[in-house]
Amino acid sequence: MAELYVKPGNKERGWNDPPQFSYGLQALAGGPKRTPLTKRVAAPQDGSPRVPTSQTSPGPPPVGPPPPSDKASRPPPAGSHPASSVGPTNFPVFESETLLEDVLKPLEEALEDCRGHTKKQVCDDISRRLGLLREQWAGGKLSVPVKKRMVLLVQELSSHQWDAADDIHRSLMVDHVTEVSQWMVGVKRLIAEKRNLSSEEQSNEEKSTATAEENQTVPGVQEVP
Amino acid sequence: MATYLEFIQQNEERDGVRFSWNVWPSSRLEATRMVVPLACLLTPLKERPDLPPVQYEPVLCSRTTCKAILNPLCQVDYRAKLWACNFCFQRNQFPPAYTGISEVNQPAELMPQFSTIEYVIQRGAQSPLIFLYVVDTCLEEDDLQALKESLQMSLSLLPPDALVGLITFGRMVQVHELSCEGISKSYVFRGTKDLTAKQIQDMLGLTKPAMPMQQARPGQPQEQPFVSGRFLQPIHKIDMNLTDLLGELQRDPWPVTQGKRPLRSTGVALSIAVGLLEGTFPNTGARIMLFTGGPPTQGPGMVVGDELKVPIRSWHDIEKDNARFMKKATKHYEMLANRTATNGHCIDIYACALDQTGLLEMKCCANLTGGHMVMGDSFNTSLFKQTFQRIFSKDFNGDFRMAFGATLEVKTSRELKVAGAIGPCVSLNVKGPCVSENELGVGGSSQWKICGLDPTSTLGIYFEVVNQHSAPVPQGGRGAVQFVTQYQHSSTQRRIRVTTIARNWADAQSQLRHIEAAFDQEAAAVLMARLGVFRAESEEGPDVLRWLDRQLIRLCQKFGQYNKEDPTSFRLSDSFSLYPQFMFHLRRSPFLQVFNNSPDESSYYRHHFARQDLTQSLIMIQPILYSYSFHGPPEPVLLDSSSILADRILLMDTFFQIVIYLGETIAQWRKAGYQDMPEYENFKHLLQAPLDDAQEILQARFPMPRYINTEHGGSQARFLLSKVNPSQTHNNLYAWGQETGAPILTDDVSLQVFMDHLKKLAVSSAC
Repeated sequence: MAELYVKPGNKERGWNDPPQFSYGLQALAGGPKRTPLTKRVAAPQDGSPRVPTSQTSPGPPPVGPPPPSDKASRPPPAGSHPASSVGPTNFPVFESETLLEDVLKPLEEALEDCRGHTKKQVCDDISRRLGLLREQWAGGKLSVPVKKRMVLLVQELSSHQWDAADDIHRSLMVDHVTEVSQWMVGVKRLIAEKRNLSSEEQSNEEKSTATAEENQTVPGVQEVP
Repeated sequence: MATYLEFIQQNEERDGVRFSWNVWPSSRLEATRMVVPLACLLTPLKERPDLPPVQYEPVLCSRTTCKAILNPLCQVDYRAKLWACNFCFQRNQFPPAYTGISEVNQPAELMPQFSTIEYVIQRGAQSPLIFLYVVDTCLEEDDLQALKESLQMSLSLLPPDALVGLITFGRMVQVHELSCEGISKSYVFRGTKDLTAKQIQDMLGLTKPAMPMQQARPGQPQEQPFVSGRFLQPIHKIDMNLTDLLGELQRDPWPVTQGKRPLRSTGVALSIAVGLLEGTFPNTGARIMLFTGGPPTQGPGMVVGDELKVPIRSWHDIEKDNARFMKKATKHYEMLANRTATNGHCIDIYACALDQTGLLEMKCCANLTGGHMVMGDSFNTSLFKQTFQRIFSKDFNGDFRMAFGATLEVKTSRELKVAGAIGPCVSLNVKGPCVSENELGVGGSSQWKICGLDPTSTLGIYFEVVNQHSAPVPQGGRGAVQFVTQYQHSSTQRRIRVTTIARNWADAQSQLRHIEAAFDQEAAAVLMARLGVFRAESEEGPDVLRWLDRQLIRLCQKFGQYNKEDPTSFRLSDSFSLYPQFMFHLRRSPFLQVFNNSPDESSYYRHHFARQDLTQSLIMIQPILYSYSFHGPPEPVLLDSSSILADRILLMDTFFQIVIYLGETIAQWRKAGYQDMPEYENFKHLLQAPLDDAQEILQARFPMPRYINTEHGGSQARFLLSKVNPSQTHNNLYAWGQETGAPILTDDVSLQVFMDHLKKLAVSSAC
């Protein structure tokens, strides 16, 4: 659910700083690759350059316009697949302004669930950070993308999708660390504590049926695909 | 197998191995006449999505001096349940678990497609990964803020059960206690006095070492002993406090008067980090991550004094023996690097500053331990932030792309010995029957330690054929090499990756054509370049160039086709055709030329050259150049000034820089705004195509390269102009006519002149 965008690097601080890719794009980078641009042309053995294939005729450089669209077709990027669009993708537009309580209430409820199971000090610490979140949100300090992604995070948390919730938390830390670093760690901890709690409950239920399943491994003859 | 090119590619994909020669000359004498040594580039942990590890342990040859691992090249007697080692010919009984094997029921390690196989070792306790941050606080406010945020962010990317620790330094060094309680406490050390590991451990109260690993029960989460627990804690326990602690970090409070550098105790801070881990977690995967924004200016390891009017050493100072602190500082960091390697830990250096930071002196810390080296202008750049994020990237399995504490062992069949290795490793000084007396790179051992590695870490391994000329290898015989890499996987499992390869021997007198056809010129170029760069660390630059030239001339004499004394008759076969131009570009590269680079930059470039895989290394030697035009799809073009044309866009990848260059006409069209007119949409697409391709490269590259967008006449066009072969210069401009390509203002020799000389020398009977 992370956003996909590229923003320019910090040219002021870094000489020729490269563009910055959002968390979503970085995660996608593990996916199928286009043909890498690694081809080389061998120089002729006498070392002299080939006759250039330019269609530029001798004389002053052409000052005319580029060939109009109908005459020349679009040159594809060198890789085999078409380039993925990397402009800011449209995020689902929510009909109304994201409400602070929609985000905070489920988080606070989750925290209440953990009380009694988690150390008081940890709960208080999480609670303090949720307070910070409330303050910054109410103070108008959080950007729209952060608020929207928090809504998604809370949805995942409520439906016990721990990995998905954790991934949204990571995407927020990577893409918006300045805004969220102070309180996000509380949300991160809350996801972890809630996940522990639910797996404890689960294992309590399963205790009677569970049998220690020895990780039997037969050395030598193993099926390997 | 249709062609050698396919064979080479298949072998690289399956085994992570590229040999300079794929048919081996069968005697020592003939092998030395081949000029390029028998050697390979080995990527020990090459990503193999199609290779799930097996959950059992390897079967070893019972001969104590051999201990080679059962592999597809072994002869097996299924009825007697015996196997013969292909290295020492020892006959071995299969272990009891293998009683069920037969021709149709083979274990994976005997199947030919498992020439590379990975075993998971169940024995022994698993200990969590350790990340120790060593943070410079003598930074500008903006930089410190950006670094703090990156560190906070990293807590979300690290494995939750990893242990983290924090040391900060400026004039003093602070070791921070991490606790779940709200009170933060730290131990403060003076930055001027070096301490022994024992002193550090006493002062930190680490009186006794961590519980020996053997006592911990396997599978159980090991409760860390209290002593180290104060400084190294699991992230999931202290993430909130550490986030606050990082957030509250202040710039070094000691005043810095005008005309002075801040006092920066990098040497002591690193020493404490090394000592802390040495006492608490020897032989456990650990990263010391040093973040620094300037040179060490006091105490052991200082590189420059605090007087700003005295600049940090340059190549000129070093040549004049005028670099006051260099030797002493280098010695300090070498001592630390060697201790760290002994402990099985690695050191990363993230140096972000506009001036030099002392990478020249500190380089051994990363080079000997397999740590990363990152050089940027500021921590508040995308170059640093994204490079740092990528340290924690994950593979197709969701595992971190990092491994620790690896030992690489090389076993050879009898006609072959191993002469050395070049890469991010240290020798383990293990002598044995397959160790050559001659040394290439770091030799005298059959085992090397690589404390930190990732799926792309690549070593050059050099061999020597020792078979005597009088005792030829039987026809059809094959030589074999086994690489055994034991390492700690990022999931904390111990694993063993075994790669066993074989190549045919050939008699160089009667079968030279076979040997020639199986030459891998790309691998050979990178392997020779690694030797050259290795030499350049200790020898004078011109000596290294002369050595490379001599090797190239000898190779051309051996494998060129020509009539004596007739340069025009000289020809090289396809398998050698690119090799001279690789050498030409290597001679001009920043790995061998220090002109225009600071000592830190040279150290940085060489660091990356000595560890990247073949593809990336070759890009560093001879950058890639693609051309975009209306005349057809993008195409690779010669790295030559003749490729710089007015109606083209060029994309150049030098590994460290991605350059997009608009030719003169293209630049004019863009200035006129044609890309915004709907009827010239194709022009807009033409402008966009190289940007998309560049992005593709940027997304995969580690470390992030610089990104240069320039055009004809732009000052940054120099990045392109300095890399292309200057076939047209101001000297011969009119010979070529004005309109083809761009003349380069240089007196450097062009590839044509280089080739002319090479041919003359190759065909000359005087050499």
